[in-house]
Amino acid sequence: MKKILLLQVFCIGFVTSVLSQTFSDAIMMKKKEICFAFIYDQGTWDQYWEGTNLITNENIGTFTRSTYMPMIAYGITDKLNVLLSTPYVSTKSDGGQLAGVQGFQDVNVALKYEIIKKDFGKHRVSALAVAQFGTPMSNYLSDYMPYSLGLGTQEFTGRVIGQYEFNKMIYLRASAAYVWRGQTEVERPYYYNNGSYYTTYMDVPNAVNYQVILGGWAFKQSLRMEAFYNIMNSVEGDDIRRWNMPQPTNKMEATQAGFFAQYYFKSIKPIKGFSLMASYNQVLEGRNVGKATNLGVGITYQFTF
Amino acid sequence: MIDTTMKKLIAFSLSLVLIIGSITSCENELPTHLNFSAYKFSDLDTDGGNWQPILFASSSTIVINSPAAVNSPEYQAELADLKSTAQNLSGSQVESVAYWTNNPIIRWNEIALELAAKYNLIPPPNPDGTYTLPSAANPAGPPPFPFAHPPYTSRMLAYLSVAQFDGLITAWHYKYEYNRPAPYETDSDIPYAYAKNSLPSYPSDGAVIAVVSRDILKAMFPLEHDYLNALAEEHLNSLKWSGSNTTSDIEAGKVIGTAVKTAALARASTDKMSAAQTPKPISDAIKQSAFDRFGWSWDNQESPVRPVGLTPAFGQVTMWNVPNVVDVRPVPPPAPGSSEFEKDAQELRDFAKNLTTNQRKIANWWSDGLGTYTPPGHWNRRTKEYIVKYELNPLRSARTFAYLNMAVMDAGIACWDAKYYYHYPRPIQTMPGFKTILGTPNFPSYTSGHSTFSGAAAEVLAYIFPAEAAAVRDWAIEAAESRIYGGIHYRFDSEAGLVQGRAVASYTIARAEADGAD
Repeated sequence: MKKILLLQVFCIGFVTSVLSQTFSDAIMMKKKEICFAFIYDQGTWDQYWEGTNLITNENIGTFTRSTYMPMIAYGITDKLNVLLSTPYVSTKSDGGQLAGVQGFQDVNVALKYEIIKKDFGKHRVSALAVAQFGTPMSNYLSDYMPYSLGLGTQEFTGRVIGQYEFNKMIYLRASAAYVWRGQTEVERPYYYNNGSYYTTYMDVPNAVNYQVILGGWAFKQSLRMEAFYNIMNSVEGDDIRRWNMPQPTNKMEATQAGFFAQYYFKSIKPIKGFSLMASYNQVLEGRNVGKATNLGVGITYQFTF
Repeated sequence: MIDTTMKKLIAFSLSLVLIIGSITSCENELPTHLNFSAYKFSDLDTDGGNWQPILFASSSTIVINSPAAVNSPEYQAELADLKSTAQNLSGSQVESVAYWTNNPIIRWNEIALELAAKYNLIPPPNPDGTYTLPSAANPAGPPPFPFAHPPYTSRMLAYLSVAQFDGLITAWHYKYEYNRPAPYETDSDIPYAYAKNSLPSYPSDGAVIAVVSRDILKAMFPLEHDYLNALAEEHLNSLKWSGSNTTSDIEAGKVIGTAVKTAALARASTDKMSAAQTPKPISDAIKQSAFDRFGWSWDNQESPVRPVGLTPAFGQVTMWNVPNVVDVRPVPPPAPGSSEFEKDAQELRDFAKNLTTNQRKIANWWSDGLGTYTPPGHWNRRTKEYIVKYELNPLRSARTFAYLNMAVMDAGIACWDAKYYYHYPRPIQTMPGFKTILGTPNFPSYTSGHSTFSGAAAEVLAYIFPAEAAAVRDWAIEAAESRIYGGIHYRFDSEAGLVQGRAVASYTIARAEADGAD
């Protein structure tokens, strides 16, 4: 089976999906294999949760966050891959007068390590660990939500992944991650977070992330399809106050469900090594986030170095 | 094989720990109040009892009886009680003493700012597109009362500071009339938590501050009675925990506090603030007169449209020190479409296209918008830092805040008079499609509130802290400029606002110069 990099981009919408971007599949690239990917993701919403209360705000109207994400992955060994991405984000809304922003968000680097890969006849069990580090690429302003490019803080994600593959056709995967986030420096010397804060720094809450994925292969393993369920919850934080702007200290929660498909061109000569992917997901439940619908498309190209 | 895997895993885990450590180790402590220790006052202002109060004819209008003699049995019993209290403090009592310090004016100002930020939330639209306004008659709402917008906050701070000032002038008067020595001077076994000085202890200045601050803030924030009662209780207790005052000192301070807050709230009840948020017919008439006069008028651009701007009649609220608001009304702004207007409008378009990071930072630094302590709060915060830097005593601190906040409220009144007299449209109204990085407030453009507040505040601070004059005036200019960078004011709004604020402050300073403190 050809090992191909696969990405899933989750767009939480209110802040950024790409921050919670997860390198969470069970596939490893072999040593000296390299893969380039380019993904475009668009999240839109016209309702958001103010705390746990779903509201509309005509002064925002429909909000759109577009993410353009180039990415490189490389097989250091068969069991250790490194991944690098630098999303470019653009935001806008069609209501009100606040200006959207655009620019490079955070640089993310991840190491993925395959701990276990064991075959039982036609079935396979695998377990992996991923460590991901992200840091802002510029001094973009995080305290301009929902328009801000990202949370403007260093972020470290530790993830474990387990997968069971039946018959090399269908697989069930689950992953759990903890996201440590630092502080973000903002441009105002005072803010309210259930009390006064006389500082330009905000604590950005840590988060947990859980995923369950049911996937399968078709057309001689050229097409891969997945349905997924994703929960990304801050472990603490305050709620957006009534009719007030959100801020990076908020307790953000999002439960999403979606589909993902990727087709690999394995035999057609000139485009061998390419793949196309598409994804769709919907935020079902949330807190202090937009009720976003996300559509993504991407292309990857892989070869041995 | 297992060994290599294990080694890799260990190396992997170690590097994770290092990265997490580096993320958390650069975290800054996030201060929720000014971190300072009780300090020795640079001056005691022993003549402070002769200063002219704001609300009272003199410092002896409120009558305080003479205290029991130092050697009387009842005072000796109070001292014994104080000694046993102050010698046996729990950890939380020690923390409380350190928090309140010997200048609790600072803490009550912070409490006021915190409540301003908590209540500075604009009423949301109802599902049918109408708006319900906060009501003092039904403070729980929704929406809750008050909406602590800049005019409301400026007034809240003015009453708080003026009442604190008058209370302390009265306290100083009786302190030096009765000259009861501090408890630790009579009984050296009584521990005193702060820097010793020769200030007489009766009546307790701390108790005046606690009671007057609690009661003014309770009137201004009717949903916060429990919170404020608890804070005042802790503050009053800390006066004993710190060894500062005996029971009779504190009781006399409470009498002053109650009398002063009564006078302050009596003024507040007749200052016409309750009519500032006019009904729509009056608001429409104000708009029509401006249109008839000048040929333009401002419209709210929100969706759904807010039917009435913020406090159209705040310009008619009773001023502290300016005889007539028209005395400080600026000349008319340039007409929309005129070449003078176009020049400043073009500047806004240019900034919107090419704002530097530093300009963006200035816009946000001074934004002080919804959910914050407002521009009056921002200037109070700076003032607080100067008070500590210059080690002012509580009386001098209260005087500083009183003149600052009278000037700031008068500046707000003057600015609001201009805003609704001229009814000038905002940039997002005159330039359709114009996008901003700050939210445009719900009131007309000319003059800029930030600029007027800041122009006035800077002049008062320059008067009180001459060594800081250049710095505070630069800040005022920066605050005025910030609104232009934010895209919500034309340069002529900001420049006229600074001039107007300075003009207001000249009245405030004239009064200050005559109060006997200089």
